[in-house]
Amino acid sequence: MAVAKSTEPTNKAEFLQRVREALGRKEPLLYPPDYPPLKSATIRQEEKIQTVLARNAARRPRLLERLAENAGAAGWNVHRVWNPEDTAQTVADIAKKAGAKNVVRSSEDVFKPMDLDGALRRARIKPIVLASSRSRPRADLTGIAFDADMGVTGVSYAIAETASCVITPRRGLARITSLAPPVYVAVVRAEQVIESLDDYFALVRLQYQRTRGRGVNYANFISGPSRTADIEQTLTIGVHGPGEVHLVLVS
Amino acid sequence: MTLVKSSQFRKASAAAVRSPKIQIALDRVMDHFVEARAHALEEFPPESWEQMRERASAIKAQTLENLDYYLDLVDRNVQRNGGQVHFAADAAEANRIVVDIAKSVGAKQAIKSKSMVSEEMGLNQVLEREGIEPVETDLGEYIIQLAHETPFHIIAPAMHKSREEVSDLFHDWLKTAPTDDIRQLCMIARSALREKFATADIGITGANFVVAETGTVVLVTNEGNGRMTTSVPRVHVAISGIEKVIPAIEDVALFLRLLPRSATGQRITSYNSFISGPRAPSDEDGPEEFHLILVDNGRLNLLKDPEFREALKCIRCGACLNTCPVYRKVGGHAYGGVYSGPIGAVVTPMMAGIKDAKDLPHASTLCGSCRDVCPVKIDIPKLLLRLRQREVGGSASERSSTWTERLLMRRWRSTVLTRAALERSASLGRFLQGPITRRNRIRKLPVPVLGGWTKARDFPPLAPKSFATIWRDELAGDGRG
Amino acid sequence: MKVLRRAGVDVTFPADQTCCGQVGYNGGFEQEAREVALHFMDVFDGDEPVVVPSGSCASMIKIFYLDLFADDPVLLERAQRLSERTHEFSDFLVNVLEVENVGAAFGGTVTYHDACHLLRELHISAEPRALIEGVSGAELAEMTDSDRCCGFGGLFSVKFPEVSAAILGEKLENIEASGAEVVVANDCGCLMHMRGALSRKGMRQRAMHIAELLASQSGLAVGQPERPEA
Repeated sequence: MAVAKSTEPTNKAEFLQRVREALGRKEPLLYPPDYPPLKSATIRQEEKIQTVLARNAARRPRLLERLAENAGAAGWNVHRVWNPEDTAQTVADIAKKAGAKNVVRSSEDVFKPMDLDGALRRARIKPIVLASSRSRPRADLTGIAFDADMGVTGVSYAIAETASCVITPRRGLARITSLAPPVYVAVVRAEQVIESLDDYFALVRLQYQRTRGRGVNYANFISGPSRTADIEQTLTIGVHGPGEVHLVLVS
Repeated sequence: MTLVKSSQFRKASAAAVRSPKIQIALDRVMDHFVEARAHALEEFPPESWEQMRERASAIKAQTLENLDYYLDLVDRNVQRNGGQVHFAADAAEANRIVVDIAKSVGAKQAIKSKSMVSEEMGLNQVLEREGIEPVETDLGEYIIQLAHETPFHIIAPAMHKSREEVSDLFHDWLKTAPTDDIRQLCMIARSALREKFATADIGITGANFVVAETGTVVLVTNEGNGRMTTSVPRVHVAISGIEKVIPAIEDVALFLRLLPRSATGQRITSYNSFISGPRAPSDEDGPEEFHLILVDNGRLNLLKDPEFREALKCIRCGACLNTCPVYRKVGGHAYGGVYSGPIGAVVTPMMAGIKDAKDLPHASTLCGSCRDVCPVKIDIPKLLLRLRQREVGGSASERSSTWTERLLMRRWRSTVLTRAALERSASLGRFLQGPITRRNRIRKLPVPVLGGWTKARDFPPLAPKSFATIWRDELAGDGRG
Repeated sequence: MKVLRRAGVDVTFPADQTCCGQVGYNGGFEQEAREVALHFMDVFDGDEPVVVPSGSCASMIKIFYLDLFADDPVLLERAQRLSERTHEFSDFLVNVLEVENVGAAFGGTVTYHDACHLLRELHISAEPRALIEGVSGAELAEMTDSDRCCGFGGLFSVKFPEVSAAILGEKLENIEASGAEVVVANDCGCLMHMRGALSRKGMRQRAMHIAELLASQSGLAVGQPERPEA
């Protein structure tokens, strides 16, 4: 919950005045700068999005191929599921192969039509839904996630250009599910795959305009396993985030 | 700005060149970065990459021209998202703001993700003084924190440390068993820091970009510590220089294409976080408070100068360091400040004052390679030249050329102003060089300043006849030889 | 001179010339540089093309004079006209005379060093290579990082001699590794720098200005510096 504090920075006017003077002006601008990307109104953005969505729908099979290819190259383990009913089993198999004893997952809609918990239990793996409830307050979620062997979430989008899964936390999806455990599985539905970074940010812009800025405060791209080369320029995988990442692409 | 030791560049660079440890590290890392970047660029036809650079440069220039407008937009939008913005004129003010926020939530421990501006501020020392333990979580920053050193490179702060040195540091500070296995060393850091992630009260990060349109801080990372720092603690404080602003959310795509390729040769880093405020009430986790501190700390010196303004376009990719023949031989510490390499040689004198950093504009052969690789097309050689000009003929606070140099330059001017003067000097030179020339070379020039040449190189003696003489006596009348 | 004359050019050497002024300009001494540059402009006043053997001097005249005289419209105009008439040596041969084979002969392997100003200010890199390949008997062997600075940088070489020498050391390693006997460059500063270390280290390679190579008729370059005895 945002703590109510005095919101106007006390020295803002003075600070901005010094910036202005550095630029050789005494007064604030009368009109916003002429910068087209900022000026395009919601209606125009909606038209743009129609085009974006249509193009993505038309190219979907090729996009799925490109995503799978780029993801493989980026260090994801890619699993293509041609029959949605097989999704739960695919995830359970990943967990088993990874030696996971417990798996945390979000409570997103993507998991509703499948019985992931059942598939996990049959493999003798304990499923935990990482969402707050009366019996499990938010404060406990961190500890549970840090102890878990594997995390599973859905995604908002998957960007083919960069093999990025976009996670936007909300009720039922804790950020930490995709971050703390050493193994992470992203379940991506075909219709969530979009072509490029430009498409994604165009969508974000429209959402921002529609909700008048009271939309999503956080989003994260996951484009592969956690990596570092800070010691002797030698690549090590899995430093703080998951070292093993799986992309389950459901067509 | 914190202590800048850039006036010691001459000594520090000579020592770096003689240090086998530093040379081994530079040899290993620099080529890797250059090759990785070149490989990443192969994806684009050269004209496309050029267009991208041109567009990014134009966007940044436009933003800087209207920076007051965009900073105001950032403030209004972050507030609308439920966050708070603070403006800090200098390092002291910025540090005070961080400490006040930390104290207001009773924080005892702060986890930090990489932030160059916080190094400028000397934030860690201030936090420690106030009884708040700062823990760097980026592996490279963690290593240099344990070693009590400043970053050696903008992107790879600990690149100068060998695995043995890292092992010793971990042994000394964490009491872990020595090992020369790099993966094991990383895992030691992982466990040590994982504890801190779970218990820290406040997370402090930098910002790669700040989007004005939506009030969004963009973090570009690979390890996961950035995500940890902005997800687990109750409070998130992002610190950013005022120049990191980009106008529109749709601009992010372009910069996300330019930055990772220029920095590490990656198409995209493992993680990109887009943070616009504290958690929404319905979010399962995330910070309850979000603060963005926008810092000046000398950047207005660059902004107010129309020629130097472009140095603020910098997106901190480090590509200029990796290609610079000077940086590649001396590394980051010799520059004596937080920012090293070509961009450091420009911003350090401008932010800290030319007199404190007078060597830096000369620490360059003006080869121009940095300008070629800069993703936002900053004309670094031109700016270095301008700094040199200010050292000679600038304002009282800028003039710092030495008496010897000025004398030498006047001598040079007089010698080459007329042919007659040049010939007189040449005659004198031919006379004087006799005793010091052996087998047509001069092995030691016993002259101030210029004598440095002969430490490692022979100097050519003046030819017995100048070309002008040969021309006059032999070739001129020849017509077609 | 010989090469230009062989190519049929009527070339003169204005005897009053001294220096283009870059040393002062790069040191930040605008006043002194301006005076020297003005002398240069006076000496080379006229309409004929001006051919410059050294890349850094050529870029000083063609590019940086426009900066040096930016605040004086009269001088700026003169500088602009001079800039248009000025050509670096290999640029003149290949792009103005449209000649790549000047009738030279040199039996040996040659490697080429891309001087920084020539490459990055004047964008000349194909022309010298074309000329080298036009030399009968010469074989061009590219070195690694031919476009990396040699470490001269004018006064840089004496202000920070250790760093300068270290950068030069890497350049020499690359020259050695190329297998060439001769390194060619179109810049007098780079050449003086490289020659200085080649002789100090007693290395077998020679550094030559491209004109020396192109003047060669029989496998021995004209006016080559005396080889230091081992």
